[in-house]
Parts: sequence; C-alpha cells; structure tokens
Amino acid sequence: MRRSTALRSRRALILVSLLIALGVIALASLMLGSNLISPGAVLTGLFDPARDEGAVVWGSRVPRTALGLLVGCCLGIAGAVMQGQTRNPLADPGIFGVSAGATLAVVIGVYVLGTSSILMTLWLALAGAMVASILVFTVAALGRGLSSPVPLAIAGTAVSALLVALTSYLVLADETTLAAYRIWVVGSLSGRTLTGIEGALVFAGAGLVFAFANVRSLDNLALGTELSKGLGENLLRARVVGLAAITLLTAAAVALTGPIAFVGLTAPHIARSLVGGRHAWLLPASGLIGAGVLLTCDIIGRLIGGTAEVPVGVVLTVVGGVAFIAIVRRGRMATL
Amino acid sequence: MRWAGPRRPSDRRCDRPDRVLDSRVELGSANLTLVKASTALRRSALLLVPALALAGLAGCSSDSGTASSDSAADAAWSYTDDTGTTVTLDHRPERIASFSDYAIGLLSNGIDPVAIFGRVDVASDPRFDGYDISKAAIVGNSYGEIDLETLADAAPDLIVTGIYPTDRDGTLDLAGPYYAFADVEQQAQLAKIAPIVAIEVGGKGQDVIDSSNRLAEALGASQETIDAAKQKFDTAAADLTAAAKENEIEVTQMYADADGIYVVKPMDEPETELYSSLGVKFTNANPDGFYYWDIYSWENAAQMMTGDVLLVNVEGYQEADLRAQPTFASDPALAAGQIHSWNGAALDYTSQAAHMEQLADIIRSSKKLS
Repeated sequence: MRRSTALRSRRALILVSLLIALGVIALASLMLGSNLISPGAVLTGLFDPARDEGAVVWGSRVPRTALGLLVGCCLGIAGAVMQGQTRNPLADPGIFGVSAGATLAVVIGVYVLGTSSILMTLWLALAGAMVASILVFTVAALGRGLSSPVPLAIAGTAVSALLVALTSYLVLADETTLAAYRIWVVGSLSGRTLTGIEGALVFAGAGLVFAFANVRSLDNLALGTELSKGLGENLLRARVVGLAAITLLTAAAVALTGPIAFVGLTAPHIARSLVGGRHAWLLPASGLIGAGVLLTCDIIGRLIGGTAEVPVGVVLTVVGGVAFIAIVRRGRMATL
Repeated sequence: MRWAGPRRPSDRRCDRPDRVLDSRVELGSANLTLVKASTALRRSALLLVPALALAGLAGCSSDSGTASSDSAADAAWSYTDDTGTTVTLDHRPERIASFSDYAIGLLSNGIDPVAIFGRVDVASDPRFDGYDISKAAIVGNSYGEIDLETLADAAPDLIVTGIYPTDRDGTLDLAGPYYAFADVEQQAQLAKIAPIVAIEVGGKGQDVIDSSNRLAEALGASQETIDAAKQKFDTAAADLTAAAKENEIEVTQMYADADGIYVVKPMDEPETELYSSLGVKFTNANPDGFYYWDIYSWENAAQMMTGDVLLVNVEGYQEADLRAQPTFASDPALAAGQIHSWNGAALDYTSQAAHMEQLADIIRSSKKLS
C-alpha cells in the first residue's frame, strides 16, 4: 500500500515536472526565433499588439507556439492510445488511414471545388480523416472482427494505400492540385495561422475525452485480448472508443499543421520509460512530452537556419530518431 | 496555371510527386520526413537544382557545335553538347525526342520533335500553343516518368534534355542523371534507345538561348528561321529596356510556401540574368552566398520587402495566401496590389520575346512605391 502511494506520488511529481518543463519550452518558443528580436521587444509586442514590429510576435511566435502545444499534445496522446490498442510499439497514429484520408479530402477540395482556403482545408481534412477511419473500422469489423488488433492494422494499411493511390491520381492529373498538395503535405508549424483553430479544438477536446474514457480498456488490452475478455472487457466498445480517440486527435493535428511524423511514435516511448505503462499516467505524460518534443524541435529549427529555418520535420527526424535509438538501446522500452 | 520551366524550389529530384506519394503510406512517414530533410538542405544548390547554368563557360561558345561540315542529311553527323559529350551518327538525326522546354526551343526553330516528355501534362501545356505537336508521341507527363516503350516505338535518332549546374561556377554533376530523368538507370535505358544530348541551363540567359540555337542549327534549322526569331527577340528586348528606363522600379521574383519566402538571385537564374542585362532592376540583396535563392522565414519577411512589384511563382503561395501571412501583410507591393503570378519561359528567342513583352507591360503598369 505504502509502496503504491510512493509510486503514485513519484509519477505525479514527474507529471508536474513535465508540465513545468513544457511551460519553460513554451516561453522559449515565444522568445526565440529566426528573427532575433530582443525579449523586451517580444514582451512589448505580446502585450501591445499595436507595437508588434512586423507582426512577428502575433503573426508568427504566438500561433506556432499554440499550434505546437496543441498538435504535439494530440499526437502524443493519439500515439499512446494507438500503441496500446495495437500492442505494437511501432504503431503511429497515421496507421488507421487518418492522414491519408485527410490528405485525399484536401486534394479533392482543390480538384473539385478549386479551393485552398485555410478554413475549407481544415474542415476537409477533418472530414476526410473521419471518413477514412470509419472506413477502416468497417472493413475490419466486417472481416475477422476486432478481437485482434491485426485486422485493424491491415485494414488501415490497405485503406491508406487506396487513399494514397487516389490522391496520387488526382495530383498527377491536375497541376493546380499538385501545387496545392505539395504545399499542404509538408507538415510544419511555420506559416500556419490560428484560423479555424476553434473547430480543431472541438475535435481535440472530444478526442481527449474518448482517450481518457479508454484508459481502463487500454490497461486490460495490454494483458492480451483473451485475458482482457476474461476480465469482462467489451472488446467492441474498447475498440470503438480507442479508434474515436485516435481519429479525432490525429484529425485535429493533421488539419492544423499537415502530417507531422515521429511525435506520435516517440513521445509514448519516452513517457513509458518515465511513468510506466499504466495508461492513466501514460496518456497525460505522452501528451506533455509530445508537445515538448515538437516545440523544442521547432525552436531548434528556427535557430539553425540563418535568415531561413530548418523545417520542424527534419529536426524531428534527427532528434527524434536519436532519442528513439537511445530508448531502444537502454532496453527500457516496455513490452506491450 | 502552368509550369514553364524547371526553376522552382519544388524541383529537387527527391521531391517528385510520385516519390512523395510513395512515402505517404503512414508507417513510411519517415521517408516523407526525409523528403523534407532535403528541403532543409535546400541551401545546398545541389538539392535545389534550381537554376539554369553557365552555358557560356568553356564549353559552349568556344567548343561551339562541331556539327558536321557537310550539312547534307546523309553525311556523318557529330555534335558536342554542353557536357562535352560528343555524339556521332552516320546521318544527321531527323527524329528527335525532347523534354518539353527544349522541344519548344526546337519547334520555334522549325524542327518538329517526334516524341516529347514533360514535367507536366504536355497536351495541355500552353507553351506549345501555336505549334502543331499532334504528330509527336507524348511519352511522359510527369517528372522522370518516361514511357520507354512508346519512346522506342517513336524510333528517335537523338534525345534532347537539359542539365543544371550545381553551383554558381557552373559545375556539372555528370555522375548524376541529366535533368528530366528519374535516375542514372533510366538514363542508361534511354541511351540504349538513342544517344542523349543535354543543354546546360545556367549562367547567362543569352548563352542558354545560343546553346538551344546551336543544337537546332546542327539539326538542320535554317539561319533565316533563327534570324527571324532573333529579330522579334531584339525588338522585345529593346522595348523591355525602354520600359525599365521609363519606370525604374524594383522587381522581386519569388516563391513562397509555409516555410517562408525564396527570392531568386537574379544573376543565378538565366532568365533574370538576361532581363537584368537589359536594364530591369531585380531585388538582389545578397548576390553572394548560397546559390540561386535567398531564403527568408516568415519572421524575417521584412528583410526582403524592397520590391515595387512582386512576381510570384505559379506553384507556391498566391496573392490570397500571401495576404493571409501576418508577417507579410505589410509588404508595400502586396499592399499596392502590384503582384503577378509568374513562371519562367523556355529559353529560346520566340518564347523569350513573348515573355519580355509581358514583363514590359507589368513594369509600365506598376508604380514606384518608395
């Protein structure tokens, strides 16, 4: 009893530390950028937008910090749910066709409607992500059922391939679409605005609710489907809730910034090595770490490119890749 | 909205749409990131493959066309291209397969290719308007996608493409594939169908045009045809010079996307080099340093807002997208509405004459802002 209390307070301490660290990172994200304005100028601009020289603070620092926090958090939690659901340490939130669906919807939007407005793109991405994952779920449920995560993963991969093929067809058929696609498909915190963030927030909020409603099921699923059935787990319910969480969280992230890889894969591993495999702790830790990792990599990218910047995806690959290898090498990767 | 030439940031070989798409499958998303990685290294001219090259280097003018002394079609024919590669055939090639950009150059000189491959859909490419390409086989509509069987059926004697230097000195990477080819393997297969010659696209615009003409002449274009085209070109050039003198404005040629703004360094791009030599003033804040582009993050956008008129590449952000960028909204040219979608034209006399007329119109219709 005493031991579990000690463990719990240790985990709580870790969560609080992560939260504080994230606060520091967010502050750094406001202060640092490729345009080296002084902290004083940042504060002036922050509190008096009229004196925000060149709109650097409100036009760039604030939106990318907010987006980094939100998107990193969504991807981290979605990744943790994903890995728990599939019991696959390499599962990435995109595996259920969410990113591919969002991309196809955006491409169709440009091709059919000729629109690439920020708001329209956002809603199309959200809708496409939802449709794709419903499709994946239906295919898996119609087949061998949901008891094993394998049919879901296979259906996800197959549907993704189909969606990518359709995207490819449209993109190659029309140059305007290709141009719009190229711009969208590169996940980035740069050059994005907060337009339409309300909609994405609703999705992310709903995804969070589903994720935390899935906590007990995820803990049971970790024991294997047979055992979790024996413990009275309703597999269909567990899968639906988990899938809803993954879809909503990833859709919000993808719609805001385009597909960003590595955060959803890496954050849960770092979190697991810190707070263990209990999902009530793992999910918040993954979210905090996801946001921290994404923002940190973005800040690094801003500082090493001269007047330009190194895109966050590149920094993530380098930093995330190294961190990932270190985790694997240390052997702390909990078996799922 | 069409792409005329290969001069744009998305022209990195690894950024071909099919590659991007292949790597889009989720678990392979690391590949996507690698594609992005190349973006980061975009300052390395190698990956940018942006500009046209220093055709006027050693090779081009001095080495000028060792086309056969006997212009009769049945005599032996030999030609040394801009890479220094000599092609020797027992007769002058009659059946030419060419990449779009150079096919336009050949057409303008009265030579009709039998096969054309493009970076974009050839049939709908407006740069071919005014030319009859109905008899040509279209063997590719996307970068590096060339239908080898159809090309072989067209039985070309010669394949024409381009090569971009990797730096300001005009270094050519002869170990890599030429422009328009997916990789060296594809290039080797193409070479089995017919010998390949490459036009170097870099450095001075006039040199690239000269190289295109030199090839056309070797292939049988008449001097009169070239002279007639040159006359139109000279007229348009004189008019452009006059326009630039009447209205001394600064022109910013750029591409923009989520990562920021790419300003073309006018001396590194043959077309802008040509227009500069005719008196047009381009934004040129940083002529040295990295090849071809000056890149500014959105936070640093203010550093490049010196232009009176913006020519934005058709493939990147357009006016509405630029207005949505808070750090760019204050750009004087944007605020004044002096912004035009712009694309490079093929580097031959006829295409350039038309393009210079457009630029002269833009210059005359713009106001000096500062």
